[in-house]
Amino acid sequence: MSSDPYSALVRDYFAHTAHAGDLEDAVVAEIAERGVHLRLAATVDNGTIQALRFRAWGCPHVIAACEYFCAEHEGRPVGALGELHASNIMRNLSVPVEKTGRILVLEDVVRLLERAIRDESAPH
Amino acid sequence: MKDDLIYLDYAASTPVDPRVAELLLDCHRTRFANPSSNHAAGRKSRASIEHAAGQLSALLNVDPKTLIWTSGATESDNLAIAGGARYRAHRGKHLVTMPTEHKAVTDVFHMLEKQGFEVTWLNPADNGLLDPADFAAALRADTQLVSIMYVNNETGVMQDIPAIGAICRERDILFHVDAAQAVGKIPIDLQELPVDLLSLTGHKFYGPKGIGALYIADRPGCRVEPILFGGGQQRRIRPGTLPADLIAGLGLAAEIASSRIDADLDHLTDLRHALWAGIDEVDGVLVNGDLDAGFPGILSVSVDNVDGESLLLELEPICVATGSACNALSQEPSYVLRALGRSDLLAQSAIRFSFGRPTRREDVEFAARRYGEAVARLRSLAPEVTT
Repeated sequence: MSSDPYSALVRDYFAHTAHAGDLEDAVVAEIAERGVHLRLAATVDNGTIQALRFRAWGCPHVIAACEYFCAEHEGRPVGALGELHASNIMRNLSVPVEKTGRILVLEDVVRLLERAIRDESAPH
Repeated sequence: MKDDLIYLDYAASTPVDPRVAELLLDCHRTRFANPSSNHAAGRKSRASIEHAAGQLSALLNVDPKTLIWTSGATESDNLAIAGGARYRAHRGKHLVTMPTEHKAVTDVFHMLEKQGFEVTWLNPADNGLLDPADFAAALRADTQLVSIMYVNNETGVMQDIPAIGAICRERDILFHVDAAQAVGKIPIDLQELPVDLLSLTGHKFYGPKGIGALYIADRPGCRVEPILFGGGQQRRIRPGTLPADLIAGLGLAAEIASSRIDADLDHLTDLRHALWAGIDEVDGVLVNGDLDAGFPGILSVSVDNVDGESLLLELEPICVATGSACNALSQEPSYVLRALGRSDLLAQSAIRFSFGRPTRREDVEFAARRYGEAVARLRSLAPEVTT
């Protein structure tokens, strides 16, 4: 068992946050709770996520999870957002169980983003 | 330790002085016998302990007979507070301390509360200092023991021990001082200081871990009941086979400290000045504690709009602490900083820099630059309006 609380992937995603920032003309979702403040922005074209950006206030696991999520979901269909679960992120990044609540905030804001995208694209 | 790490966590632990390390090795080879044994090898171990007692007593200006060896400051604190309170319990059961003490102190008081003692917890001012007048006002006719730390392990704030001790002496109250962060770092003369019980540990001043001591003043009514049982060593106050090697190491560390304490303080003062000069430029940074009344080897700062855990990782390869290292696994904001009036978010963002003899000026200048860069990066990641 490693004495390092951060896996190599968490360290890498935390250090290289290529998807941190904002997008113009994007759909935005934001949640602040449980010691975390997250905002996701997405641009969508024809049901496909063109770009994803995040802003995050939180621990290294949360920041790394946001970067991981954005990198994994650009270019994928909007429906893929609904398949995201905190447990998958935690397993893939080796996030310790005590951080579950914070990663669940990411899951919640992704759900919020998906709904916002669908609301945006629904016929008026 | 990797060469690329910059260690600025001397309040958590110091490296063993190379001369102490050599002595420890020699003790392991040649002075391993049980010091309670009456043969020649045992007498050799016993002589090492007596020599070390002389070295430590010279640092504190006390009679060697007033020193009890323990496993470290936690045990010394337990013995002083639990043992002192129980010894005096027939006179009264009121005790006084502060919520900003180390857990090795506060947890003992919590235990005593469950055993029928009444504890008054005195809050400090926002700068961490206890006003001696407020302290005097909290004392009662049945107050029997007070415990106030000398140098706070998180903020470096130094309490007015002479004034508080004088008030205790006037009223014949046992006065315990947790001096784990003070011994070997600032001059302490126990012939002058009105202190009855004083806890110390070796690894905070370049001695080995696993060894400490409790000073018990030789005056009427100043005694403690044992908290460990099992032998007649150390006048039954603290039984158990004495580790002659560790004690010898602590003794030498004390002798080395005696010879350079003023030079060490000058060095630490320069380092803290250089660090603060760099960090002070960061927007929204606050000192936890009081620079004027603080031990110069510790600088604790908080900053708004930054998560402390992320800041700690971003600061690597600088080794610093978020609050007390003893509490590093906890996600809770520091209870010490909360007692100073810091919000949860500011307390959670706290970074404690602490320096030592090997720390170089360029180390702290690098740390200051790195701190500014880390805060800027984390703020750039955060949403504009934070929780």
